[in-house]
Amino acid sequence: MKKIAGRIVWALISLVAAFFLTAIAVDRGEPVNSFWIVLAAACTYLVGYRFYARFIAAKVMALDDQRATPAERLRDGHDYEPTNKWILFGHHFAAIAGPGPLVGPTLAAQFGYLPSVYWIIIGAVLGGAVQDFVILFCSMRRDGKTLGQMARDEIGKTGGFTALLAVLFIMIILLAVVALVVVNALKGSPWGTFTIAATMPIALFMGVYLRYWRPGKVLECSTVGFVLVMASIFAGQAVANSPVMAPWFTWSATTLALAVIVYGFLSSVLPVWLFLAPRDYLSTFIKLGVVAMLAVGILAVHPVLQLPAFTRFVDGTGPIFAGKVFPFVFITIACGAVSGFHALISSGTTPKMIAREWNAWPVGYGSMLLEGFVAIMALIAACSLQPGVFFAVNSPPGVVGASPAAAVSTISNWGYPVTVADMNALAADAGEKTLFYRTGGAPSLALGMAHIFSSSVGGKKGGGNAFLGFWYHFAIMFEALFILTIIAAGTRVGRFMLQDLLGQAYPSLKHSNWPVVFAASGVVVLAWGYFLYQGVRDPLGGINSLWPLFGIANQLLAAIALCVGTTIFIKMHRARYLWITGVPLAWLVVVTFTAGYQKIFSDQPRVGFLSEASHLQTAIDAGTMAAGKIAEAQGQIFNDRLDAAVCGMFLIMVALILIDSVRVWFRILTGARESKVDEAPFVLSRLQTEEL
Amino acid sequence: MRAFFRGVMTLLREIADENAYERHLRAHGRVHSAQEWRVFIDERLARKFAQGKCC
Repeated sequence: MKKIAGRIVWALISLVAAFFLTAIAVDRGEPVNSFWIVLAAACTYLVGYRFYARFIAAKVMALDDQRATPAERLRDGHDYEPTNKWILFGHHFAAIAGPGPLVGPTLAAQFGYLPSVYWIIIGAVLGGAVQDFVILFCSMRRDGKTLGQMARDEIGKTGGFTALLAVLFIMIILLAVVALVVVNALKGSPWGTFTIAATMPIALFMGVYLRYWRPGKVLECSTVGFVLVMASIFAGQAVANSPVMAPWFTWSATTLALAVIVYGFLSSVLPVWLFLAPRDYLSTFIKLGVVAMLAVGILAVHPVLQLPAFTRFVDGTGPIFAGKVFPFVFITIACGAVSGFHALISSGTTPKMIAREWNAWPVGYGSMLLEGFVAIMALIAACSLQPGVFFAVNSPPGVVGASPAAAVSTISNWGYPVTVADMNALAADAGEKTLFYRTGGAPSLALGMAHIFSSSVGGKKGGGNAFLGFWYHFAIMFEALFILTIIAAGTRVGRFMLQDLLGQAYPSLKHSNWPVVFAASGVVVLAWGYFLYQGVRDPLGGINSLWPLFGIANQLLAAIALCVGTTIFIKMHRARYLWITGVPLAWLVVVTFTAGYQKIFSDQPRVGFLSEASHLQTAIDAGTMAAGKIAEAQGQIFNDRLDAAVCGMFLIMVALILIDSVRVWFRILTGARESKVDEAPFVLSRLQTEEL
Repeated sequence: MRAFFRGVMTLLREIADENAYERHLRAHGRVHSAQEWRVFIDERLARKFAQGKCC
């Protein structure tokens, strides 16, 4: 009886998923309520989790709770520690959830909501969650080996070294692009800049508090830090309204970029306990809190989507970034659907904390579905803005015109009406001087979130929204705080990786004496700082060139992870299930190589790096460019060629790993190579439930 | 409801490294002191920040 009831419930969930997925796909002419999308995503994720992931766990991985995990066998109270599955679920989710699932869907909303909704739902179930789950399983069966170690052991030395290099280069692009998002959110905003600047002394205070005053009281210290950060948001409003202080915190994009570069360098060389760790604790707690608040807000307000299912920009002429819906929606939304970076987390601390093998199912697969849900919420927040407002905020002056009047005229002519008065009123409500040209996704996402939060908790006052300004800057603080933490941690990791790489040739460079630390930190900061500076100076807003590069790099890392997973499945004699990792791998290879090829060779200057360089060079040679613009154009030509080279290098590195993998698969399947599984030996688990 | 909030608190303490510190004290039969915390957290943070944060 219970079994039949269960089947009826799952049949109903499947029907609801199918109904709402179909309804949002075929519905035209009337606005879609976000509740439909929430239900479509939730039900599809539940079905994917219950049936597809369970099938992979049981039939392909053959998870076995009798088998002791590395957390039990190698238990040391530090890294290896059996942990309750729901605690580990939260821990793993906090580690994988970054700005990607928030910013990517916001940028991709320029195509309309439908392509993004489908990609986030289907991509997460069949691609992203599978990748995370498979890599977690592989690492768990190999005592917690990293992705790079597994690539070297399972594919070969070439694959392992290429994976290491790829991670370093991807990290540099990642840091540049997320830094650009922060810079674009804070430029010309004294309120936002003051709030974020205030988090620096707050972090230092927390560091000292935790080390000398109240050692070990991390939660208490983070609560104090949170109260101070909230106070800084209120103080930021006073600063913005002060004619004396506002100019001190009204910074240009170039100044902000230099400040972020200096911040990255300092956070790499300062002791971790003093600056990075307290920021990390605080930003993680705020991140989890805001995600929960957003979920509650969307359920309470369930806003109607204002953007259409498809916009006119599916043809590749989008103002935020150029390129057709295929392949660009699939690389713009990486985190939230498929993210290669997750493979680094799934082969990091998580496999060392899994108490029982079956716990990998909720932790690996389930957390990625939750991240997909975060991406859906971000998309809803962005799409709940009026289309005209959305494009006015996100479009660079180089595309829509350098004055507000020109911008609203261009955007209204696209069929998305907006006026300068509308934008000025919105900016006044948000406590900003202007919201034009705020490219990067963060400000429009913050506006969408602020609308949802202020509709849930707040009200209207004098025709404006009394709480919009506070919530807007709360959302900006939340985004900037954890993006800056990623920059700090990433710069430090990049420094370690560089020291490790160079240390192969010069072992003295592996040591952490201060000249080496300063030099390695400087090199890493200059590398991502250069791309950041290039993005800031780019008349097309920087996002047009850097976000696709980041998306391509991230998806190519996912391709590397899926190559490793496929190789291990073949070695486990699971070749008949090759499609599980093979299909998402093939899709990612097609998508990223198409996007990469177009970014390098497309004959449209806004899409192809080489075409833009050639276009600018032709204008210089023909003498049609104003003399004052020539130096800037020459810089742009150099940057375009550099971006093309970086993109080409990513494609070559992944092609190398792919060829190496296919060679290994072919040799195993034809019997030319022994199919040896390099797993830790079976040991019977003696873990008691009470220990968890 | 109580179990839910207890779970949330455990998660927060895990993220805050407070649970790991308690395990460390238990495993090595030590008692809490400022110096013990510093030794523990320095080692833990060095490993924690050898890995990148996800995007």
